[in-house]
Amino acid sequence: MARINLDTAAVESREQRLGTVVYWDGNALELSEKSGYSKKGKCGSGCNLCEMKGPFTQPSVCSEQMVECQAGNIREAVLIQHAPIGCSASQTFYNTIYRIGLASRGHKVENLRISSTNLTERDMVFGGAEKLRLTIEDVWNHYHPKAIFIGSSCATGIIGDDIDSVTEEYTEKLGIPVVPLHCEGFRSKHWSTGFDQTQHGILRQIVKKPTKKQEDLVNVINLWGSDVFGPLLANLDLRVNYVVDLATVDDLASMSEAAATVAFCNTLGTYLSEGLEQAFGVPQIRAPQPYGIAGTDAWLRDLARVTHREHLVEDFIAREHARIAPEVEKLKKKLGGKQGFIATGSAYAHGLIEVLRELGIRVNGSVVFHHDPIYDSGDPSQDTLAHLVDNYGNVDDFVVSIRQPFQFFTTLRKHNPDFILIRHNGLAPLAARLGVPAAPLGDEHLAIGYNGLINLGNLILEIIERRRFCEDLSKHVTHQYSDWWSAQTDPGILAKHPELIWEGIDI
Amino acid sequence: MTQHPSMKSESISRARYGCAVGAMQSAVAIPGTMPIADCGPGCADKQYASLAFYNGFQGSGYGGGASHPSINTTEKEVVFGGNDRLRELIQASTKVLKADLFVVTTGCISDIVGDDVASVVGEFQRRNVSVVYAETGGFMGNNFIGHEVVVKAVIDQYVGDFSGEKEQGLVNIWTELPYQNTFWRGDLAEIKRVLEGIGLKVNILFGHGSGGVEEWKTIPKAQFNIVIHTWLGLSVAEHLSEKYGQPFLHFPTIPIGSIATGNFLRDVGKYAKIDSKKVESFIESEERDYYKYMEEFSEFFSEYFFGVPSKFAVVTDSAYALAITKFAVNQLGLIPVKVILTENPPEEHRESIREQFRSIADGVSIEAEFIEDGFVIEEEIRNSDRKPAILFGTTWDRDIAKEVGAGVVEVSFPASYEVVLSRSYVGYRGALSLIEKIFTVTIGASA
Repeated sequence: MARINLDTAAVESREQRLGTVVYWDGNALELSEKSGYSKKGKCGSGCNLCEMKGPFTQPSVCSEQMVECQAGNIREAVLIQHAPIGCSASQTFYNTIYRIGLASRGHKVENLRISSTNLTERDMVFGGAEKLRLTIEDVWNHYHPKAIFIGSSCATGIIGDDIDSVTEEYTEKLGIPVVPLHCEGFRSKHWSTGFDQTQHGILRQIVKKPTKKQEDLVNVINLWGSDVFGPLLANLDLRVNYVVDLATVDDLASMSEAAATVAFCNTLGTYLSEGLEQAFGVPQIRAPQPYGIAGTDAWLRDLARVTHREHLVEDFIAREHARIAPEVEKLKKKLGGKQGFIATGSAYAHGLIEVLRELGIRVNGSVVFHHDPIYDSGDPSQDTLAHLVDNYGNVDDFVVSIRQPFQFFTTLRKHNPDFILIRHNGLAPLAARLGVPAAPLGDEHLAIGYNGLINLGNLILEIIERRRFCEDLSKHVTHQYSDWWSAQTDPGILAKHPELIWEGIDI
Repeated sequence: MTQHPSMKSESISRARYGCAVGAMQSAVAIPGTMPIADCGPGCADKQYASLAFYNGFQGSGYGGGASHPSINTTEKEVVFGGNDRLRELIQASTKVLKADLFVVTTGCISDIVGDDVASVVGEFQRRNVSVVYAETGGFMGNNFIGHEVVVKAVIDQYVGDFSGEKEQGLVNIWTELPYQNTFWRGDLAEIKRVLEGIGLKVNILFGHGSGGVEEWKTIPKAQFNIVIHTWLGLSVAEHLSEKYGQPFLHFPTIPIGSIATGNFLRDVGKYAKIDSKKVESFIESEERDYYKYMEEFSEFFSEYFFGVPSKFAVVTDSAYALAITKFAVNQLGLIPVKVILTENPPEEHRESIREQFRSIADGVSIEAEFIEDGFVIEEEIRNSDRKPAILFGTTWDRDIAKEVGAGVVEVSFPASYEVVLSRSYVGYRGALSLIEKIFTVTIGASA
């Protein structure tokens, strides 16, 4: 695969590296073939994956928010938002998840440490570099952090502040890594570039050349989920190094010493996994993700291979299969035949659909917020979409849509599922108004591994009871959509016929 | 590059407001109205998720959240300008959505690259499409500033000129900032209720008690405007005074409790020339209920074995801080030890705000400080000679409150540990809820 280029401060955007699309509809098999990753469909390569584009759009999420939720959630570090004050509003969100994550992992609960340079109109004229220097000095004097991250903004990107020079100056002056993160929202159409940019900065300036190897240490790239990987990997005599959220700067620095890297979701982990492999020789797992029985089996076997635990893994897998079988059977009886719907990030959706189908739940539709035709390793063994289609069958209605409730309004009414699984804000409120209960999956580890089947099954049993609340609500709400839009059955109609918006208008 | 004219740091950690474009939430607060976010891909989500979600979990309403239009600016619009894309999005919005009024709110990108939003929106206005625009680039100030821009945009571009008769007894209310104030929905309902109680007809303008744009169209007919805030809305009232010849009454203190609310209603009644018997009769009936509860509460307050704390600090915007401080001092007999005002009020209003805190009650005076940075706020509380036992603040203050042993009553943005529906902290009924909250927090933490 392409070299991860650590020479420049700005990461290559996800659409440049992976050909990421944010708007497409069809079925999962077709998308898998057109991606040309492990499957070579009729077209033979990814060249036919045409992205749609329409005239009507609703709010998305930006790369800077993903920088906040990663670099802003590292213990003993500070993130500076080099931006007007509005970019700081989302700190409230990331503070909530940080506090809940700290509590869940047994760390001291405290507010996150993010500071804004608070740029105003005159800074747009004169430039904001001097205010950046003053803010770096503030956070150094206030907190003496072990690292300072500097996130850029749309405003500083346009006025052309030279963040790289300032970070170099202060890396030298303070003797700690001062890391520039170029995350202007307009620069990438999908927010996951913000993950990549944070991880790029960490690879360039935080991760240390290994002085020793820790043969039992595994980097787990995740967010703030509960400690599920720790007990799971203990069965293979392995320890976890959770990164990036809630990690300390030293945890990040020592990633190079680990025996392997895994991720709860390839969308999040693709860049850092590949970077650690290329730059520091830490192997990543060449398997799909640990969701469902087949996925978890394959994932554990590859992890055992890489960490030389083959002697432990088969026995563990057999024990786990036997352990969960009765509980899974019970859940299947209760959930079999129910209809589920998934609306989450891309690779995560692939994993969740596998778990639902193992529980006997029908999944005919899914909305994913983007699609990466390939991952950074370029290794077809990581093709999560093909793994889903090959092992669990096609998903007939597979929509790539970057949130966009107006499309979800059309899609969800068509499917009318018993419940939906959702991650990222923006869509669950609409589902409730349409009478469909949604589980928000704030703890991203809930569905991982063998226990994931049981955890998710039990959660769904709770959630479907909320249908009473949602159905009652749905009888009393007014939707925002016009009669014309409400009558549409194709969520992509405006992309196919953008001229429709001017129908009947004489200009 | 030119040297920066100011060498003073203005950094802010743990911000307690949104930016000017956060005033898209003010458009959302007008029933049936929808913002069109002329912004980057994350701007609308940031403002909504913070002001309306992790702040009492107020919700998106009809026109907010992820449902309103947003340009989600890309590199293309940055380089080539966004006029065509804005035209396309406004037109598409009229096709896909139902809204009585669209309010285009511009963000940093559009304002820096200099898109001609006025002329694009003008094309639609000439076709009688209900759409206005407000220049709310985030670098221009916070959502308090943006709110006044949005309000004036709706008045000037939508409500328009007026030459008809004024309607006696009709008043326009300009008070708390919707969404920023976690309790604005309940508070506005209570303000409307008590003013109707003395016989006025009330244009509350925002929230569930508002009639939406139809109500806004009657703004020019009102007999007068009432500004109930330390400063927000004053420039709107002055604008209306020029535009429609309407006088206005200014109450820096949002009334909480029977004393403040009674005095407020008497002042308004006198100004509106309402029969004082009618005013007194309403006050009497409200006080009858209020004092029944007070009488019963007094048992807890005087007899709770382990005592209840007295010293309190307030860390919030100047209007809520003043309202709470006056109530806590004048009606509960609590003792203020620290007042920190966090919303960055315009310089010209600061001295009058300080004066208000210097005369809370006979013999009770406190020097209010204007601080926006979270670190400095914490240092102020940490180093204060007199430590509070009750801290009226935000989620950001939980750590420092714990450190100094105070209970937190989250009263403003961000209040991420409060689920708020119709709860109010103002007027007669809100005062009762506030008392419940203060003492549930304090005794809840006791053992």
